[in-house]
Amino acid sequence: MAAGSLQRLSSAGRYLLQRQLLKTNSFSRLTAGQHRLWATQAAHQVALNVPETKLTSLENGLRVASEDSGLPTCTVGLWIDAGSRYENQRNNGTAHFLEHMAFKGTRKRSQLDLELEIENMGAHLNAYTSREQTVYYAKAFSKDLPRAVEILADIIQNSMLGEAEIERERGVILREMQEVETNLQEVVFDYLHATAYQSTALGRTILGPTENIKTINRGDLVEYITTHYKGPRIVLAAAGGVSQDELIDLAKYHFGKLPGRYEGEAPALPPCHFTGSEIRVRDDKMPLAHIAIAVEAVGWSHPDTIPLMVANTLIGNWDRSFGGGVNLSSKLAQMACQGNLCHSFQSFNTCYTDTGLWGLYMVCEPGTINEMMHFTQMEWMSLCTSVSESEVARAKNLLKTNMLLHLDGSTPICEDIGRQMLCYSRRIPLHELESRIDAIDAATIKDVCTKYIYNKAPAIAAVGPIEQLPDYNQIRSGMFWMRT
Amino acid sequence: MATHMSRCRSWSRVQRFGIAAYRKYSSGGGYPNISLSTPLPGIPKPVFASVDGHEKYETRITTLENGLKVASQNKFGQFCTVGVLVNSGSRHEAKYPSGIAHFLEKLAFSSTAQYGSRDEILLTLEKHGGICDCQTSRDTTMYAVSAEVKGLDTVVNLLSDAVLHPRLLDEEMEMTRMAVRFELEDLNMRPDPEPLLTEMIHAAAYRGNTVGLPRFTPADNVDKIDKQVLHSYLRNYYCPERMVLAGVGIEHEQLVECARKYLLDVKPVWGAITAANVDLSVAQYTGGIVKMEKDMSDVSLGPTPIPELTHIMIGLESCSFLEDDFIPFAVLNMMMGGGGSFSAGGPGKGMFTRLYLNVLNRHHWMYNATAYHHSYEDSGLLCIHASADPRQVREMVEIITREFIQMAGNAGEMELERAKTQLKSMLMMNLESRPVIFEDVGRQVLSTGKRKLPHELCDLISNVTASDIKRVTAKMLRSKPAVAALGDLTELPSYEHIQAALSSKDGRLPRMYRLFR
Repeated sequence: MAAGSLQRLSSAGRYLLQRQLLKTNSFSRLTAGQHRLWATQAAHQVALNVPETKLTSLENGLRVASEDSGLPTCTVGLWIDAGSRYENQRNNGTAHFLEHMAFKGTRKRSQLDLELEIENMGAHLNAYTSREQTVYYAKAFSKDLPRAVEILADIIQNSMLGEAEIERERGVILREMQEVETNLQEVVFDYLHATAYQSTALGRTILGPTENIKTINRGDLVEYITTHYKGPRIVLAAAGGVSQDELIDLAKYHFGKLPGRYEGEAPALPPCHFTGSEIRVRDDKMPLAHIAIAVEAVGWSHPDTIPLMVANTLIGNWDRSFGGGVNLSSKLAQMACQGNLCHSFQSFNTCYTDTGLWGLYMVCEPGTINEMMHFTQMEWMSLCTSVSESEVARAKNLLKTNMLLHLDGSTPICEDIGRQMLCYSRRIPLHELESRIDAIDAATIKDVCTKYIYNKAPAIAAVGPIEQLPDYNQIRSGMFWMRT
Repeated sequence: MATHMSRCRSWSRVQRFGIAAYRKYSSGGGYPNISLSTPLPGIPKPVFASVDGHEKYETRITTLENGLKVASQNKFGQFCTVGVLVNSGSRHEAKYPSGIAHFLEKLAFSSTAQYGSRDEILLTLEKHGGICDCQTSRDTTMYAVSAEVKGLDTVVNLLSDAVLHPRLLDEEMEMTRMAVRFELEDLNMRPDPEPLLTEMIHAAAYRGNTVGLPRFTPADNVDKIDKQVLHSYLRNYYCPERMVLAGVGIEHEQLVECARKYLLDVKPVWGAITAANVDLSVAQYTGGIVKMEKDMSDVSLGPTPIPELTHIMIGLESCSFLEDDFIPFAVLNMMMGGGGSFSAGGPGKGMFTRLYLNVLNRHHWMYNATAYHHSYEDSGLLCIHASADPRQVREMVEIITREFIQMAGNAGEMELERAKTQLKSMLMMNLESRPVIFEDVGRQVLSTGKRKLPHELCDLISNVTASDIKRVTAKMLRSKPAVAALGDLTELPSYEHIQAALSSKDGRLPRMYRLFR
């Protein structure tokens, strides 16, 4: 019987996992487009066996986008162009604090009312903050779409931000901080940002320093809302069993009063320059070393993003419990497996609006760090100089597969719509994304990788028993090849 | 708006040149230098599909002459998930060294008669945008592929080859042994002990039989499993009448045609087609306790310490998923709910389930309390996992036993309705995903020969009443408890005391009179 699907019920760790994936905003977060090509390219029209993403803008600039697949359940959410990047040293952590306060009661509903209402309708309400985006979303039965939209509108427009609740939440956030600190991948990525984007807004963490968490006050939260939660910076996205017409009516009714314009100058995106540099936190008591190394790549909408993703797929990822043959398209995986060089590694391409980090995260035993780093850099250099057509062809196929298979279920699709609307102000049709990937060949990869990787100063973050990690200058000199 | 303006500034040059820029670069054989925010010129106009009313929730099933069942479910989209499910898992290993199913899982999709290596298999799949995966559980092994629908013929051919004609080369066997060892090592290193506890409580509940047999290859057996052992096992269990070819997102006729072509008159590499030595044991619930003393004072892999915890899991026999009572038990499990005392995620995670309200919200020293329901074709286990500081284990055990006793009380109307709604929404949300539908179709057809559709299940859930919950709990409480305990167990009450608590009216542990404290 339905044991399989009914038993999946109590997967307690799920939310945490999801949060981590979304917050680090890195591995395999692909700029997935939408629909796969069915007919031949030669035709002037292609038939796509997926529904269209419909897009409408309201008068106050709020955008509504949805894809209706007729399911009995749906995901609907608000994607807001505001994250920790808009904060300064003093108020760093406000965006995240605000996300926490959203579930603490509004002028219409107490916290208890909100929780009961959501739980009783079998829905889920969740939120996350990244460096550039804040997202609030709900999953519900499709018949409950109107209520879900009304609740979302209520929590972002009428949040009480009560003093008592703010005080209570400080403790919760500090506890969350502890929780984040037990996840070494998150720790290493925070360090990586801190060094790569030192003394800029992207270098700061999303949670903010303890000192700020203890001092952020109601005024900071209110100011953040009035500055950033404006119509043109918000997207209402939905997928599953949703009708765009119904969604537009709901948006007009519930978000119509949201301010559209700025009086005077709107807040500009603070520039964040990249610095090749390193952070080392040596702790010989830890069993494994956790190391990330990255160069500066490009922002979401830069055309070079796609070749860099192909390069990222080519390097691939591996975990030793995969055994020998899982990621055979990745040479590095084969080397790691045969030489027992690490426990796991993941290639990543983290994008922001105007910059990005392209690199590799590895988890190694202390004695294999040097070799693992050496082979990683060798693979990077080979990307810049001698990558073959067949390797590139394979990575292109894999990239397409990963992107397409990821778009399964209303939540990943809704997430894709929301993010793309903020990043590109449109949803890239799948066949367009495919043509962009198809246009790449080995020469493109060599050109683009040379541009961003070859002889560039990397940022490095390393935690654990890292005595064997070569010094910065040695790693730096592995970023080019002497040709004789 | 200004932010958007400033963001676009760096690309305005590209946008202004538009097509010209594209042409210039493309003529050089290069890559179009056009921002992703701008549509690529010259690509065809898409014609989108539209939702025509309701998706047809119909599962079609055909049984081939050799007994293999073919089950399909149509679904919107142009990817399909197709796979072979085999009625084979760790529960069938009684007459063999334990761990064969786990070993086969790691070995799956290695070289076959037609494909020289795993790499060749992956390359073939990549051409159809496909990926493959094998998963085993205590009772089922699934070989599955997700790929473009048009690659169906290749996919079924490949699946048939992977299941029936693996070469089992020496180097592949060696590689598999290594992967199994690494997985066992990681299992013991992980801070989250849930898989380990699940293994232990199954061993306690079904002592030495069927689903109580180890799901993970015991370290001592890794070297005992060789080609001969595998062939002997496969000959018995990998026969067509124990298999289902399931597909989601394809036409039934097409799938049946492929099945006839590749799975009907095919002789497996191990020869004989008739199963001679199949273990047909029915699960014998025994109850009992499995303890593992382990130093959990420093399980953190990093500099931030995780507090030292002792984990317990207490379970009672529920029922098989074939019985009608399976649904009330699923509702009961949802009503108990629970989770970690600290977990991210907003409302919807079960904040008003009993393990939150009665346990985690009242006893802040408890670190975790979560209910699980494992159900098989002949038995089932409803259990609660809890963890806390080793000094408070006795108190924690009593809190959990009292929760078990209280299940037999009256369920409130509100909490019952909520649990039912949440169970339905969980079911429907899980079934948004194609691989989940695949697993649901496959498992149901494998065990019952038919599929209960989601809306039928929802109706059954709606019909559950408070007296059903009371009735199934009363039945459950008559079974002997199964207990798993991990960590510092100095304060763990004896099994007899736990049993006594679960047979009492209030769930309290018998008083201990110690002369010397």
